[in-house]
Amino acid sequence: MDGVGGDIALADVERRLRAYGAALWGSDPPLRPLVREGDPAALRPRFDADLVRLPAVWPTLDLYRAALAHAGAHRMFSRPWPAKGLKPLLTIVVSLVEDARVEHLAMRRLPGLRRLWAPFHRVEPSPSLMAADLLERLARALFDTGYRDGNAWVDKGQRLFFERPERWDDPNFSLALGGDLAGDLGKTRVQINARGHRVDPPYRDDNGGLWLYDTPPEPPRDADDPLEAVRPEPAEGEGTRRNGPPQDSSAPAPLAVADTTALRPVARYPEWDHRIGLHRPDFVQLVECEPELRRPLEAPADPRLAGRVRALVRHAVVARPERLRRQKDGDDLDLDACIAASAARRHGHAPDMRVFRRVRRRGRDLSVLLLLDASHSTNDPANDRAGDGTVLDLERRSADLLAGALAAAGDRFALAAFRSDGREAVHWLPVKRFAEPYDAAARGRLAGLDGRWSTRMGAAIRHAGAALAAQPTLRRLLLLVTDGEPSDIDCPDPRHLVEDARKAVRELTGRGIDVVCVALGGDPHTHHRIFGRRNVLPVDRVERLPDILPTVYVRLTG
Amino acid sequence: MALHSYRIAREPYYCPAGDEIALFEAAHADRLPVMLKGPTGCGKTRFVEHMAWRLGRPLVTVACNEDLTASDLLGRYLLEAEGTVWQDGPLTLAVRHGAICYLDEVVEARADTTVVIHPLTDDRRALPLDKRNELLTAHPDFQLVVAYNPGYQSVAKDLKESTKQRFAALEFGYPAAPVEAAIVAHEAGIEPAMARRVVAVAERSRNLRGRGLEEGASTRMLIHAGRLIARGVAPEAACRMAIVLPLTDDPDLRDALAAAVGACF
Repeated sequence: MDGVGGDIALADVERRLRAYGAALWGSDPPLRPLVREGDPAALRPRFDADLVRLPAVWPTLDLYRAALAHAGAHRMFSRPWPAKGLKPLLTIVVSLVEDARVEHLAMRRLPGLRRLWAPFHRVEPSPSLMAADLLERLARALFDTGYRDGNAWVDKGQRLFFERPERWDDPNFSLALGGDLAGDLGKTRVQINARGHRVDPPYRDDNGGLWLYDTPPEPPRDADDPLEAVRPEPAEGEGTRRNGPPQDSSAPAPLAVADTTALRPVARYPEWDHRIGLHRPDFVQLVECEPELRRPLEAPADPRLAGRVRALVRHAVVARPERLRRQKDGDDLDLDACIAASAARRHGHAPDMRVFRRVRRRGRDLSVLLLLDASHSTNDPANDRAGDGTVLDLERRSADLLAGALAAAGDRFALAAFRSDGREAVHWLPVKRFAEPYDAAARGRLAGLDGRWSTRMGAAIRHAGAALAAQPTLRRLLLLVTDGEPSDIDCPDPRHLVEDARKAVRELTGRGIDVVCVALGGDPHTHHRIFGRRNVLPVDRVERLPDILPTVYVRLTG
Repeated sequence: MALHSYRIAREPYYCPAGDEIALFEAAHADRLPVMLKGPTGCGKTRFVEHMAWRLGRPLVTVACNEDLTASDLLGRYLLEAEGTVWQDGPLTLAVRHGAICYLDEVVEARADTTVVIHPLTDDRRALPLDKRNELLTAHPDFQLVVAYNPGYQSVAKDLKESTKQRFAALEFGYPAAPVEAAIVAHEAGIEPAMARRVVAVAERSRNLRGRGLEEGASTRMLIHAGRLIARGVAPEAACRMAIVLPLTDDPDLRDALAAAVGACF
């Protein structure tokens, strides 16, 4: 996409073009670059039911706009005709009339489009009888009522076209008038190179979208295609523009960091056995290990998403009510201040009229622990249209977004991950502790997380609860991001760890800690069982994060 | 008369889009609480004004915000030279003297504020003023109307179920293009043909809803644009000033919208 033969790259203006097309026509087909060998000036746009293809590089933005407006008019007003058995010349002329018809219909609605398209109709009257010249002049004559060509064929087309504008609403009008004109042109012996025919002016598409061929749905490229010549090669190179492929996700898991880093046992936790209805004391050992440092994640692809998340976090009021006394304005009278004011007045002094009190929530009084599931299953691909990332990628991106917002809002928060390898080794990977800043090192540790082993959730929840309980804030929130359900190698009974996790959640709730599960897939019934239906927020895309955050906060503020 | 200044002297222009006037009149006859839902600037407030005028009732309007407390609605004691004096809040005023009380953007108010309307909106029709130790029975003419925009309500900003279920609701949208053009032509004082073009601009911007814009241009915006045009501003410049620039700060969208505005004139 280096500006060969042009100044504007589609990639640079794609977003605004799509918005423009959507504004005009209310539909927003994806735009794809049209890549072809040869003269870039000969490239013509093309469209079909799903896509609009535009040259990857073009001289001006207005040309792109004109092309998009024209293709949009087709998508709005044209219905493709079967091309079977039609002569190339016929399809060319019918397409030309159809181009003019949809443009006039479009200009009825949006008269300003005339100013957009008119500058491209520059052909002047000439004695040339070459088919290409005649067609280009007819295109201008059908666009521009005031144009006078002088050629009998062009004039006839113009006269018939503008004679009955009320017929423009009927697509068959193009077929009839085009057929008539093509017949006339066939009788004169003008030369036409149907194969090499190029639609002019250049903003108009190659008409491929107007005709139905026998070989749908593939873009026809077989040589038998009667209209092959009318269209450039089908574009290749789709999908070359994907934003930010996740850099490390597909790489093989790095060396077992956990083996090289010192494993530090930090705590032992009980585990709930639902069959006997008792805790098994000190049953699970939790070990802490440092995640590997990697290059931090790139900033979120969409800065507005980050902005929205940030605004949501910032505006959530999480504070205990505070009674303000001696206010100028308020809900109630402050009795002490009233007495003082009355006394002052009776003494002949000027009373202090700040005699109200009011209740306000000020400041932020919240700690959040964001706990990520880093078990093996998070290496599965996520249902994420933004890229072919894994669940862990999605977790990392969401966590980065949220952590950035929390840091910007000045909230106390910690970020950690967990996984387990049997009951003697539940790994706790601290990414950021409460006291640490969310800096490049923390973001590097976040990027360095990898997915391995199993999901012994209960012990991790208990450890998170211990960390949160030590926080001196009014509200404490554990946000657990997971893709699956609890399991471990030494637990054949799948219910056991589910019940244990459920018990652990209840223990935390009993200590005033809110537990919310952000579920990136997995079995919803299990999540509901563990966390309670209201505390499970299913998320399938990182873009949905702004939608679910309020749900979390409303719980804290409500 | 306490509410004299709240009476609407002249008929506020309102162009009905459906049978909302008849529905509201029926609801008013029974003093049912009514909830108006619809995007910003589509005529909810104007409708209430029109109905208050039509029914000959005073209209007390409160624009709700997140700092609005129950006392702001109910009233409070003030200190005067001789002691304290109670001052009715707007809701109390309407309840006491019989007005339509209109709470605009009601979801912006905190949940603990909105519950004060609960006793008014069931068959009790009473307002307890605990600070005054008074149980105020609503005047027979009192009716409560609330409005909000469901479009940008997130989970954090929604009415409690117990509040919602007290209301009958009317839904508002942007009117159909011919009606909207008539409204713009009337309110802005421009030719119907020009008003249709301005409405075409609105359709362009509404096409971008959910594609980068939170909301398309409201009818109110169109009237603003129309007024600028009536003052002699060129249509494109007027739409840029009244529609494109206020709607978005995103340069791509702004460019796209400006180009689409150009296509409308």
